[in-house]
Order: sequence, then structure tokens, then C-alpha cells
Amino acid sequence: MSEQTLIPSAGSGAARWIGKRVERKEDARLLTGRGQYTDDVVLPGMLHVAFARSTIAHGRITRVETSVAAELPGVHAIYTARELAAQPITMMSFFFTPSEVPITPLAGELVQYVGDPVVMVIAETRAIAEDAVSLIEIDYEELSPVVTIADAMAAAPIHPGTETNVASEIGDEEPEEDLAQALQGAHCLLTQEVVHQRISQAPMENRAILATREGPEELTLYITCQSPHNIARWVSLALGLPQTAIRVIAKDVGGSFGLKNTPWKEECAVICAAMLFGRPLKWTEDRYEALTASNQCREAQMRLSAALDANGRLVASHAVYDCNNGAYPQGADNNIAVHMFLWAAYKMPAYAFLSRGWYTNTNGLAAYRGPWAMESLIRETLLDKAARRLGIDPVEIRRRNLVYLKDQPAVSCMGIPVDDITPGECLEKLVAHFDFAAFRKEQAQAREQSRYLGVGIAAYIEPTGSAGSMVTMTGELAQVRIEPTGRVTAMMSTHSQGHGTATTMAQCIADRLGVAYDDVTVFEGDSSRGGFGPGAAGSRQGVIGGGAAIRASEMLADKVRVLAAHLFNASPESVSIEDGIVHIAGAPEMSRPLGEIANIAYAEPDRLPPGFEAGLEAQFRYQPPPMTLTSAAHLCVVEVDTDTGFVKILRWISSEDCGTVINPGVVEGQISGGLAQAIGMVLLEEMPYDARGNPTAATFKDYLLPAISDVPVFEFIHANTPSKTIGGMRGVGEGGAIIGPPTLVNAIADALSPFGEIEKLVLPLTPARILDIVEQRDVSGFGASHSEMATAPVADAVQEPEAPPPMPENSQEQSAAEARSIDGDWNMVLKTPMGPQPMVVTFATDGAGGVSGMFSSAEGSQAFDGGRLDAGRVRFDLKVEKPMKITLKYDLLIEGDIVSGKCKMGMFGSAKVTGQRA
Amino acid sequence: MKPAPFDYVRPASIDEACTILSEAGGGATVIAGGQTLVPLLNLRMSQPFVLVDIGAIPELRGVDRVVGGIRVGPMTRQADALEDQLLAQHLPAFVRALSHVGHHQTRNRGTIGGSVALGEPAAEMPATAVALGAEIEIASIRGTRRVPAEAFYLGPYMTVLEPDELVTGIIYPDWPQGHLVVFQELAQRPGDFALVGMVGALVIEGGLIQRVGLSWFGMGPTPMKMRRVEAELQGKAPDALDLKSLSRLAVSDAAPFDDHHASAEYRRTVGGRMFTRSIGDALALGEVA
Repeated sequence: MSEQTLIPSAGSGAARWIGKRVERKEDARLLTGRGQYTDDVVLPGMLHVAFARSTIAHGRITRVETSVAAELPGVHAIYTARELAAQPITMMSFFFTPSEVPITPLAGELVQYVGDPVVMVIAETRAIAEDAVSLIEIDYEELSPVVTIADAMAAAPIHPGTETNVASEIGDEEPEEDLAQALQGAHCLLTQEVVHQRISQAPMENRAILATREGPEELTLYITCQSPHNIARWVSLALGLPQTAIRVIAKDVGGSFGLKNTPWKEECAVICAAMLFGRPLKWTEDRYEALTASNQCREAQMRLSAALDANGRLVASHAVYDCNNGAYPQGADNNIAVHMFLWAAYKMPAYAFLSRGWYTNTNGLAAYRGPWAMESLIRETLLDKAARRLGIDPVEIRRRNLVYLKDQPAVSCMGIPVDDITPGECLEKLVAHFDFAAFRKEQAQAREQSRYLGVGIAAYIEPTGSAGSMVTMTGELAQVRIEPTGRVTAMMSTHSQGHGTATTMAQCIADRLGVAYDDVTVFEGDSSRGGFGPGAAGSRQGVIGGGAAIRASEMLADKVRVLAAHLFNASPESVSIEDGIVHIAGAPEMSRPLGEIANIAYAEPDRLPPGFEAGLEAQFRYQPPPMTLTSAAHLCVVEVDTDTGFVKILRWISSEDCGTVINPGVVEGQISGGLAQAIGMVLLEEMPYDARGNPTAATFKDYLLPAISDVPVFEFIHANTPSKTIGGMRGVGEGGAIIGPPTLVNAIADALSPFGEIEKLVLPLTPARILDIVEQRDVSGFGASHSEMATAPVADAVQEPEAPPPMPENSQEQSAAEARSIDGDWNMVLKTPMGPQPMVVTFATDGAGGVSGMFSSAEGSQAFDGGRLDAGRVRFDLKVEKPMKITLKYDLLIEGDIVSGKCKMGMFGSAKVTGQRA
Repeated sequence: MKPAPFDYVRPASIDEACTILSEAGGGATVIAGGQTLVPLLNLRMSQPFVLVDIGAIPELRGVDRVVGGIRVGPMTRQADALEDQLLAQHLPAFVRALSHVGHHQTRNRGTIGGSVALGEPAAEMPATAVALGAEIEIASIRGTRRVPAEAFYLGPYMTVLEPDELVTGIIYPDWPQGHLVVFQELAQRPGDFALVGMVGALVIEGGLIQRVGLSWFGMGPTPMKMRRVEAELQGKAPDALDLKSLSRLAVSDAAPFDDHHASAEYRRTVGGRMFTRSIGDALALGEVA
């Protein structure tokens, strides 16, 4: 099924390893129970931690009584927020910005969600620690819980010192005049609404940490995470310790999906307690804690409008998106990426949006495999609706609107340059692989027997291999050496979450070095060896780690050539390495095992060429282009039992283009895993909260993950269009979870089309909700309980920063303030998608309405001129280079000593600015 | 495992077990296969003072022919019961239902008695006991009693079992060779508890339905015996049945509930269809033991 296009080897060997379906180096260890996960690590003197957690969603702590618990034999210490504050910690987002609302590891005054940790117990065993927890009394003054997005819109802010429950907001509240006209005046205006349920991350390995202070400023952490290097950096910043003081080890990890990007409340509590208490402390989350108290994901609602002309071509679009951040998200988020990528692969002339994240008294939001996946779900399901409305084939409507290679280079309506994407080409490969005409015939015949078959397709692009676009996203480092034995070891900054990077990186190295795959060993998972790397986040390791491994290996191969040429009095060009043997062209008698050459390189300096660095080592830090785009089109066939509402997936074909495929098995494993999660999200999984804010799926009896029986055998088509990166890879880690949901929903909608449209897509599509559509009545009971669930009209949204600041009481003072010069320093905060950015802005007016000035922030200073001041309104443009070349258009209103307004940031939309005179 | 502290005892006889249960004064929990209890202990949702392991009591294990029926020892592992020749021959509905309980791995340790005594309303084995007219044999130091399965269940996870009592056997009455098996279950994933399920048996002799036992599971707070349908079917000729109206009657014997997997309305809607289909199939195919 797979069509391999092998890229030419820059290395020396005849044996190709890139592109091979080799067995994973990790599997023997992992499948025989010899993996080393965090909970497997046992240290002498280790004690165990358990938490007393809030049983209410929102309240003020009035009393904490721990004295009885402290008496229990085996209990060593009990900490509340007060005691733990002796070790200060600054909890930061995924982007390394301090949280907008203060977060402490343990709740101090307020509890903000059911499960919020309040007290920690340190004891001889976990069981004793839990015994003690049961003896702790916590009294609360209960406050009314804010649970849903609709609650958050209506309720007073849950976080003291904030004005609304808006955690993050970007975009324009109203579509501008011409966009509104384009929408209203179009041939066909479609609206799709999606209510996406809350998902539990549910990794096989729950969160776990073992922290041990090994000196006044020396901390070792065993922690299940996405990158030991990133955790070391985060913890060093959070604790204000040098990064060299912190060693993070995570040998094997059982899945993370975004949850383990940063340590969160419980892990931070253990870190602080270990610093204070001095003995190794372990906490391993149990499944109940994992389901109810680990950061969750996805809960969002979106309404997308799109106008099409009579030919089914896209004209204009507008969307309103709201997501539930919970109380303490891993970074206040409005999910800007939803809008950046919504139409990036389509010829969409005009798009505007409003995107908001809301604080609620629920568990915090964390990233989860394709966190912006709502864009593909809502777009692709809308396109199928449009196809049905206009009587166009679903393939055809995409052909008319997708950006094919022949249309490139192009720039998306959000300003994203698009010059090597292939969603259309993936779709064509997919269509060639599936006989639509035969299926439609079979579908028609089946319907006559009251069997309902459906086919769904979807296409998308995805940003992968991100580097240099934000502070945490950097390149990756490969350090490769040929040992004196001739064996090859590499230290990589990548980190496997189960992806098998020890396999794929070894394939890259073996391929380019000309050695046997079995002779290459890759080490990762320890921040004390290897260089910094962000690790497993954003489908980046194959792209960037692979590129680094390839280039470092090529550099090392060159070194071997130079040495061998010197030893054998040949030219470097005549030296080749094949399967671990160094050959000289035309002189087969001179062939030597690599180990022999390596031994000379290490042990016989006299035989080395002048200036040759002893040993055989090379390292390369690969800084790829800021973003590498992956494309795919998927198809699935389902049968829906219209008596029961059960969906059976009959076939699923993935046609993806992730560039060079290092290992088809690993690539297909990644896609399959994402698709399994997609199937879970569409059909099974849901973390519901009751009206009091209690999470009600507390075990796997109620939280239904897809089992092997729910996941079909997938078929794969690989397109292999090399990217511009070294090695030509494109990321593939998240795609299945992004494109899977619309593919499956479209198939179900196609099967159900004789009964009606899925007017509002509410996930999961449980059997009861399927019957809602089949029977066109409220079988599921969802309609009755959620009639208010629709996105609140923009006009009804809680008013916030746009509102004028409080007016001074005396109007004369007011006019005097207005007349005052704006010259001087202003402290402002720009609410960017990566978090609030504080800055000092210095204005200088010329008395004739002209404004120039200077922006200063931690990242540096930048001057601007050409601005205009008009009746308290200041407008100016600032051209910035970081994180990318972009023109920021500021539009500010100055009233007295208060400044407010917004900044248009190109593809990132509009961000709020607030501040006051310095 | 990190349960709350408990004493662990492993009695060698029913008498010894009953004495311990009696002395524990309500603080004891019996552990059979542990497939439900152990996770509950680990999460501390269950916190007994004494755990009474009945795994070493030989009389509690095995499947035996008794007068007028088959006696299944509560400690009989589900995997063993699935392979049992007596059950396969005489109680095919039991075996059919059992194959839907959990998964291979859990059935290796899970027991028949554990499943029957737990009283999960959406589980297969309680409903099977109710449908087939089983009696639950219960012992304590106060004596031994037998309770019809139908009267055994009071609500979700609630039974008539007193804290000092132990289930010592489940006695299924004989069903004649050639009886028809009824079993249908809708679960979101194989091995899950049912959204809707029904189980039972029918005996047709001389062209008339002579005996019938049917029960819902997942359709109320306990297994719900289809009393009115049973009465209606009794003595009728199969081809004279109006399955549609019978299905309405069957659903009215149930008391389904809303939970986050399905609404009561879904359960009623699909339950009615399931009834029509499974009774229709059983009669038409003459699916036999």
C-alpha cells in the first residue's frame, strides 16, 4: 500500500535505513515489562505524598485541621499552602510566561475546582499518606460554582482581581462592514455549530514525580514528561535556580499528549516539598486523580459561517470560538491556532473571528494532540453540509477550493505563507484508491434494505516542527560518536513518549553514517546528557531531531573519510562506509572495520592528520524553518444502525504527506494512535461535570476510551513529498487526532443524510444522539437540558476592556486630563496568544498630531514613528521581526492616565492592550 | 495497592467465614475474584475493616447437578463456568450471557458469585439469575436461607444480603432440553456494562409457549423481570403473538434511568426494538439449547 519515494543518500552506505520498517529498538524492553517509568524508580529514604483535595468546585477555605493526621504513625510532615510558601515557585505557562492569575501548588484562600489540592501529606507509604489525608478536616464557605462556558459568560469572575471570566481574548467582536456584506450577499450562507465535549488526557502512564534534593541547590527529578530538558528549564526558572542545579530524568514515558509539557500543581508541590523537607518524595497519580484532577482538554464551542458562490467556491467566513480554560490552565488560551489554520489550505478570500477562553471552576485546560483541531472538524463538516446543500460532490467542493501545488506559492487569508502543501494531491491519491461510484451504488442498495452506509472525507494541513517561533520552541541537538569499538552512540535532545525516537533517530544515523542499524544506540531522557530541546510537542521530533541526526552523522562520516584517506594515502572522496566497513575505492584490500579506524582516532594520535581532532564525534543543532506543513486527506466508511444508533467503522484510509518517511511502521503508529483518539472523541469519550462542578466520570467504567474493538485496521498511502528541512521530513504526531474527527463525522452524516442534517454537532455522537437525528426528536435528552448551549451572541458577551475606564467625577478635571500631553512613559500590557506581554511605551508628540516613540520590553527596544494622535486616539504601526516579520497596528484610546485599545497582529488577529501612565 | 488498612482473613469453611462475618458486625467485606473490589479498595471507595477471602473454601467452588437444577458455587471462576459442560448442556442462556461479562483477563479471576452478589443493574449475571428463576442460597451463623433472585435485588448494588451473610450457592432450575435462548445486549464496547440488555428462555411444547423467563438489564435500578410479558406469553402460540404491543408491555415493565451514556428515552426506544427483534429471532430461528 505504501509508495516509498526514497531520497538519495548523502551518506556513504549501500544499506538504506531511512524508509525501512525496522523493528523498534524499544519494543523488546517495553513489551516484556522492562520499561523504566517514573513510578519504577525507588530511592533510599524515599517517602510518599498524597493530597487532600477540594471536594467543592468553588469556595473559601475557612479551616484546615491537620493535627489528628499528623499524629498518625508513619506520617512525616503535612504541608498547607502556608508552609509550602517557604519555597517560592512561579508557575508558568507552556510558553514560559507567568500565569495571569496567581497559581500556587496548594490552594491558599480559595479552592477553584473539585480536586484542587489543599494539603499534602508526606508519609512512609502512599497508603499511610492516604490514611492521614482521610483524617484531615477542611471547612469551606461555599461560593457558587461557574462550570460551563455559558456560566462563565454570565457569572462574576472566579479569580479575584480580574474583571471578567475572560482568560484570553483575541479578534474582532463584529465582522467589519465589507465582510458582513460578503457573507449576507452571497449565493449560499452556511453555518456550522460544534459543541466539543471535555476530554480527559488519559495517558497510560499517569502523572508521576520523584523529587530529591541532593544539595542546597541541587535537585534531581524523575518525572514523566515530554522533555527532560524543557522541564529542567521550566523548573529552574520557576524556582530561580541555575539550570545546572536541576537534573531531570525520564527514561520511558507512557504517553503525554500535551498534559506533561510542564509540571503542574501537584508536581510543583512535590518539588517545593522536596526542597524544604530534604528527603526524596514520590507522588504517583492514581487513575481517579488522573481522571478528575489532571489537566483536561478540548472543551469548546464554535460557530462558523461561510459564504459560497453558486459554483461552490468560498467567498467569506466568520467565526466565534469559545473554550473552557478551567480555573488554572497551562497558559490562558483562546486557541488562536484554530483561526490561523482554519482556512490556510483553502482559497478563502476573507475571514474574521472572535476567540475567547473562559475561566471556570473546573479542571485546567492543557494542550492535547492537535489542540486547535476544532478548525478541521468544523470546516470539513461545514464543507460537507455545503456540498449537500449545493448538490455538489464532497470531493468536488474540495477540489474547487483547496490550494493545490499549482496554486502555490500563496498566502492564506490570515497571512500564512503556503508554498509546499499537498492536501489536494493527498485527496487525489485517496480518491484514486477508493471507488466512489461503486460505493454510491452499494449505499443505494443498502438503503433499500434499511441499512445505512456512509462515506466521509476530510482534508487538512497542520503546522509541525515548530522552531524559533516562540521562546520554548527551539531546534534539537544530535551528538553522535563512533566509539573506539566501532559502535555508534548518540545523545539526542528528543524524547520518546512511546513514539520510538530511539529507533527513528538510529535509522537516520545508520543511514547517513553507513553503519548497521543494530550498531547504533540512542540515548535520551536525561537533561544532564544531551543538549536543550523542547522535546515531544507539536509534531516536531522527526522533523528537527531527524534533521539534526542526519546532519551530525554526515559530519561524522566526513571525519571518518578524512582520517581514512590520511591513513591509506587516498583522497577523502574515494572513501566510503558501508555496513560498518570503511572502503577505499579501487583498493578492496584496504577495507577496514570502522572500529579499527575509530581505535586509531582515539588511541593513536601520532597517526592522525595534522589538526585532526582526536576521537570520532560530531554534533549538530538543527534550526529548521519556523514551521513545516504536513498535509493529509482521509476517508472512512461507516454503517449506522438506525435502530440502535450504533456506528460501525468499516474502512478507513489515510493518505498523508509527511515528507520523507523514516520508518513507515512508526509513522503509521502515530497516525493510528491519533485516529484512535479521534474515534474516542467522536463516539465515546466525555468528561462531564454536574451543575455543582463535580467531574462525574471518575473511573474507566464511565470514561470510555476506545478499545481495540472500536478501532479498525487502517490503510495507509504515503505521499512522501520532501519538505525543505534536512532529510525532508514533516511532522506526523498529531495529525490523526485532527483529521480523524471530521472524517468520521462526515461519514456518519452521509449515512444519516436520508433522515436530516446534524444541525448542531454535539460530541460525542453517542447512540442516543445518533437517534436524535434518525428520529428527528429528542431521544438523548440533550436538547432538553442544553437548550441554552448555543454560543452566546457576541453582543451579549461580558463587557470588558473595551468599556471606558471609570470617569473622574469632576468633568473639568476630565477635560484637563484629556488636554494633558501623552508624552512620556506608559506601562502597557499586550494580551498576546502566548500570554500577556508587559512593556513600556514612550510617546513623543510633535504638537501637530504626529506621534513617535519607543517600545521597550524584556526582549529589547524598538522605535516607531509616523503615528497619529487625534482626540485622545493614538494610532501607529510597529514593524517587528520576532517571533516573525509582522506589522503590529496599534489603535489606543488615552483617557487621563489610562490607556486601552487593541493591536492588530496580522495572522494572530487583534489583541487587547491595557495600561496606565508610568 | 494503597487501600485503607484492613485485616485479611482466609477462612477454610463456610462456618468459619460466617463466624468472622458475624463478629465483624458489618465491617467485613467478602472478596471473591476481586475484579470490582480491588480497584475500589485501591481508590478507597470501599474501606472495609476485615477482608474475608473465600477462595480457600472448597464447597463454594464448582458446578453441580442437584435435584431439579444446577448449583453453581459462588467462587466458580467465570472462565471455568464458560468451559463447563453441565452449564453448556443445560443452561445455554447462562453461558451466552457469561461470555459478555468483562474480558478474558477479568473472567480468569472474576467469579459467578461475585457478579451475582454485587448487584450491578446493568450486568448480565444478575439478570440471568432473575430471568431463569434462580435461587440464591445464603448462609450465616443464624442459619441458611434461599431467596429467589427476583427478590434478592433491591437497588443498584443493594441486595437483601445482611452484613453477616454469605452467598453459598446459586441454584438454577432445570430448563428442558430444546428450550429457546433469548439474549441481546447493547454495550458501547465489548465487555462494558449494557446500555440495554435482555436475557431469558422460552419453552415451546405442543405449539404453545409453556414456560418463559425474561429479564432486562440496564433498564432499571435492578434486573427487571418482565412479569407482564411473561404472563402474556404463557400458553400462547408463537405465531399468534403481536410482538409490537408485547414490546410496549415489556418496556413498561422496566424503569430505565438517565446516565451520561444514554437517556431513559433511548433505553425505552431501543429496548422495545430489542425485545421485538430478540423474541422474534428466538421464535423464528428456534434457537435452541
